[in-house]
Amino acid sequence: MHLKLRVFAEQLLVASNIFILFLLLFESKLVIPVWLQTIGRMHPLILHFPIVILLLAMLLEFFRFKPEYAGNAFYRNFLQGLLLIGALFAAVTVIMGLFLSREEGYEGATLTYHKWTGVGIFFFASIIYWVRNARWYKSLAARAGALLSVVALVLTGHYGAALTHGSNFIWEPISSKKEVAEVTLDQAVVYTNVIKPILEQKCTSCHNPDKLKGELILTDPQSITKGGKSGKLLVPGNPQMSLLLQRVHLPMEEKKHMPPSGKAQLTLQEISLLTLWVKQKADFQKKLTALPASDSLRMLATAFLQPHSQEEEYDFPAVDEDKVKALNTDYRTILPLARESPALAVNIYNAAAYNVSQLDELGDIRKQVISLNLNKMPVKDADLKSIAKFENLRKLDLNFTDVSAAGLKELSGLKHLQNLTLSGTKLGLNDLKGLLPQLKSVKTVAVWDTKLSAADVQQLQQANKGINIIGGFKDDGKNPLKLNPPQMTNASPIFAHTLVVDIQHPIKGVDVRFTMDGSEPDSVKSPLMDHKTVINSNTTIRAKAYKNGWYGSDMITFDYYKSAYQPDSGTLLAPLNRVHQAEGVKTFFDHKLGVIGANNPAWANNWAGVRDNDMAFVSEFKKPITLSSLGVRYMVEEDTGIFPPELVEIWGGTTRENMKLLTKFKAPMPVKGERASLRSVAGAFAPQQVSYIKIVAKPLSKIPAWHRNKDKRALLLVDEMFLN
Amino acid sequence: MEKEIIEHGFSFNRRRFLSTMSLGIGSVALGSLLMPDLLKGGGLEEEGLAPGIPHFAPKAKRVIYLFQNGAPSQQELFDYKPKLREMFGQEIPPSVRGTQRLTGMTANQASFPLVGSFVDFKQYGQSQAWVSNLMPYTSKIVDDLCFVRSMYTEAINHDPALTFLQTGSQQGNRPSMGSWLSYGLGNENKNLPNFTVLLSRGVGNGQGVYSKLWSNGFLDSVHQGVQFSKGEDPVLYLRDPEGMDRKERRDMLDKLSELNELSYQEFGDPEITAKIKQYEMAYRMQTAVPEVMDLSKESDDIIKLYGPECLVPGTYAANCLLARKLSENGVRFVQLYHQGWDQHGNLPYEITKQAMDVDQASAALVTDLKQRGLLDETLVIWGGEFGRTSYTQGKLTPENYGRDHHPRCFTIWMAGGGIKPGIVYGETDELGYNIAKDPVHVHDFQATILHQLGLNHEKLIFKHLGRRYRLTDVSGKVIRDIIS
Repeated sequence: MHLKLRVFAEQLLVASNIFILFLLLFESKLVIPVWLQTIGRMHPLILHFPIVILLLAMLLEFFRFKPEYAGNAFYRNFLQGLLLIGALFAAVTVIMGLFLSREEGYEGATLTYHKWTGVGIFFFASIIYWVRNARWYKSLAARAGALLSVVALVLTGHYGAALTHGSNFIWEPISSKKEVAEVTLDQAVVYTNVIKPILEQKCTSCHNPDKLKGELILTDPQSITKGGKSGKLLVPGNPQMSLLLQRVHLPMEEKKHMPPSGKAQLTLQEISLLTLWVKQKADFQKKLTALPASDSLRMLATAFLQPHSQEEEYDFPAVDEDKVKALNTDYRTILPLARESPALAVNIYNAAAYNVSQLDELGDIRKQVISLNLNKMPVKDADLKSIAKFENLRKLDLNFTDVSAAGLKELSGLKHLQNLTLSGTKLGLNDLKGLLPQLKSVKTVAVWDTKLSAADVQQLQQANKGINIIGGFKDDGKNPLKLNPPQMTNASPIFAHTLVVDIQHPIKGVDVRFTMDGSEPDSVKSPLMDHKTVINSNTTIRAKAYKNGWYGSDMITFDYYKSAYQPDSGTLLAPLNRVHQAEGVKTFFDHKLGVIGANNPAWANNWAGVRDNDMAFVSEFKKPITLSSLGVRYMVEEDTGIFPPELVEIWGGTTRENMKLLTKFKAPMPVKGERASLRSVAGAFAPQQVSYIKIVAKPLSKIPAWHRNKDKRALLLVDEMFLN
Repeated sequence: MEKEIIEHGFSFNRRRFLSTMSLGIGSVALGSLLMPDLLKGGGLEEEGLAPGIPHFAPKAKRVIYLFQNGAPSQQELFDYKPKLREMFGQEIPPSVRGTQRLTGMTANQASFPLVGSFVDFKQYGQSQAWVSNLMPYTSKIVDDLCFVRSMYTEAINHDPALTFLQTGSQQGNRPSMGSWLSYGLGNENKNLPNFTVLLSRGVGNGQGVYSKLWSNGFLDSVHQGVQFSKGEDPVLYLRDPEGMDRKERRDMLDKLSELNELSYQEFGDPEITAKIKQYEMAYRMQTAVPEVMDLSKESDDIIKLYGPECLVPGTYAANCLLARKLSENGVRFVQLYHQGWDQHGNLPYEITKQAMDVDQASAALVTDLKQRGLLDETLVIWGGEFGRTSYTQGKLTPENYGRDHHPRCFTIWMAGGGIKPGIVYGETDELGYNIAKDPVHVHDFQATILHQLGLNHEKLIFKHLGRRYRLTDVSGKVIRDIIS
């Protein structure tokens, strides 16, 4: 180092020694102007320099008197310079630290230790610098001094870190694990087990006896009650006026918002808990159970204390997977509740194959079964002895089984049973009255479709307040429903010669009344459908359904069509629309009728359609037939441009080449706004013997002027034709 | 001598190599201590965890999803917006509509006049949830329901939106939610398919449902949804051919499995034993399915609860009743689709009919599960694929209007299965157009469903084509606030 520079630096060192001594003497009177606070706050930044430089210097100092180094001029000069710079940096750091310590919130034992070890290092380093060339200063002194300095450096650094990060910062991850003392809900105290842990997590790293930010300590009830620099923290009963919550609710940008931005914030749940606690007079002793069950604080606190309560832990060991696998059969499923859970659920299916031995075979896994589903199995009272051996059952399903109260008493030994279903059993009110008090752990019982009336269920609920009694729907006859209309059950409404009309209703005990003259059926006068009515010509039947306790159905109309002949084969003479291919030429005589809605390809199934050309085909009969009429069934939906045929022609003859026109006929056209409908039209002619027929149906060539598609061609859809 | 030198060189190099490398490997080992997941793969199989067991204790064991296909209008059913009535016929403010894309059906509309519900709303139950007069039965059970009014999706047309809700992707070819659950949870009842589908259709404007919606995607085909149809053969190809009785079938299967067993011993292919098992399951299904499908033993109370239509196969009411029976018999996922909710026009007429179709039976299903003590372990979901616009589509008259597709908000409800009963979650703005509070994305919804069944949606993974797939793709968070 340049001599001039070193002399200056040495002088500076002397000066800082004196300056620091001075500061320490009059520390209590020190007032730090705002601009100096900034300098002070750079303490954590600068402190790393003296640490590193002094550590290195002390290392070199330690070996300084080794012969090979002692004679080395560079070593000598470098070390001296290093020590000087280190001491100077220490001086700067100490000064800054003293400034910083004057800011609010730095008090306590840790600070004192940090301050004095830090100051000590500086003085000690300075002394070493001054005396290291004295005659008495030999290897031993150098080593002792170096060691002492290093120890002091480590200690000071540690105390400083403890000030910034909290005293247990380093060991925390492996030591304490923040044992949130497991308490049962009955013993939990609101402050100790809920409020205090929240404060400890989010507040006390700054507001503790060592750091005292804002002169506030949040570690014990006395200090909390006392408050801090800005005054009282709590106004019991009034969270809005309490400083604690005011600070929490300040906007994030606000300097006084707590916890400060950058630190972990309170969650909504925690804020609600603090608010409710203050609202309830910020009591430090109150037990959780002292609050009413429906109290918000109690409910939130319960949730806070049992965040994992939903994942039940079982105290029995898991059984071997292969054993479980081996016990699974076609009608008995045994499934683990979840991965890494020892609990098992057992379901039994197929009433015909049920046998109590299916349960007895599960001896090895009895402990592990927590749910058993026996719904609809013929479970007898005797079987309940076997069921009662499943000691860890939580849920037991016995809907629609043959159990009775006598057998169910066995279940009183099941200490964990929570959910029991008994719907559809023969149990009565008295059975359950006796049974339920014996089932101490049970929380829900389903008793729908038993002998219990709605009033009985209510009575049972009154008597067993701790259990949720699940009734269900039982028709009281007060709100009758309207029946749905009857249905045609004939395979097809198209018949060759005669047909027994088959119209039924899916609900048992329903009367179907009908007319054949087009009038509306009457619930008294019209005949009952007796499945003996025979028809031999096209017939329209109107029907309604009636039953006691129900409103009568809407009227429904069924059209029956006679079609005496079915061609043996046929050929299309002109193509059908791409989306209305149906079954091709077979469509017209396949006895399958379509429904409204054929403009969507998905439902166009039975509709053969044309627009741009005529619908034309030839059909052949292997044996000649005597034909006298043709019927055509078609769809009308003016809104989507589906219109009746403009003209239908039927040709016939004994050979294919030699056919003559038998008749032609038109269909009535719809009017504007007419609802979609399915209709048929027929043309008759003098009986004629034919082996071949040709049918030509022309789509409407010009849609009427009132329609939005006027003058365009209409779509013609036909699902069936009738030959008589 | 030369040889020895070479050998010396080798051994020296080997020794040096080993000693150097040991330090190198040691340092890698040291580093890996800090990265526990570094050398471990993801996915159920790679972790050595067989699928078929919940990840943690489940709240719900089964799901019944009442899918309202076509997107029911929330403004007429569950999301009460009096402001819309006040502003009848006024243009929707551009600030509300924003830059949202519209469907081709309304994008060219010259104006977007707001329209309020033609039907009145009332508050019901302890939860005081608003329900419209179109849903008289549902309004009686609101205290068992959790309404989510702030659902939103990404798709604006039916097929992608449906596919998105069901498979987590708009494009299809991924496993359906039911398949994922079947894969993740395994069978409860080995005699019935784990994932079944029931279809019905109302009178309203309908949209198709396609079997891709219940596809198993890349999962094993045993997880595919099985459609139960309404006719005499609910499950196709299950019935014995004419002239074959049960004994003959049994004998045939016994002989067949002997033959299969022989070829298994010869080739050791596990697919052969799998095949034997499938034949056996089909055999058991032959008795189990007719038993479940048989509605003749249902009591009068049940018929009155679900409504008289419940005995007419193929109706929504019958499907609800069947859903209960299937679920009760351990079917993990019963998926219903009810078509006809796509009210672009003629909304007041059509939605009234649609609501009548589903109201009683949906409420009945919840009540019926509850009275059997099954609601706790069965999650019931009611909802469509998106919502409908607050402005009208087409001509607006006080009596008649329509609503277009609206992915930005819609309402669903859930019941049972550990979902908080009697709450309303989320809010839309006063025009019912945007979400004001607690939005729930489709993936959040899916994550929540999986969570209720004990599955971590981030861990229910299947590796396919070099990529790991999830139902929730790469997002989704469990909505904790609706979980009890």
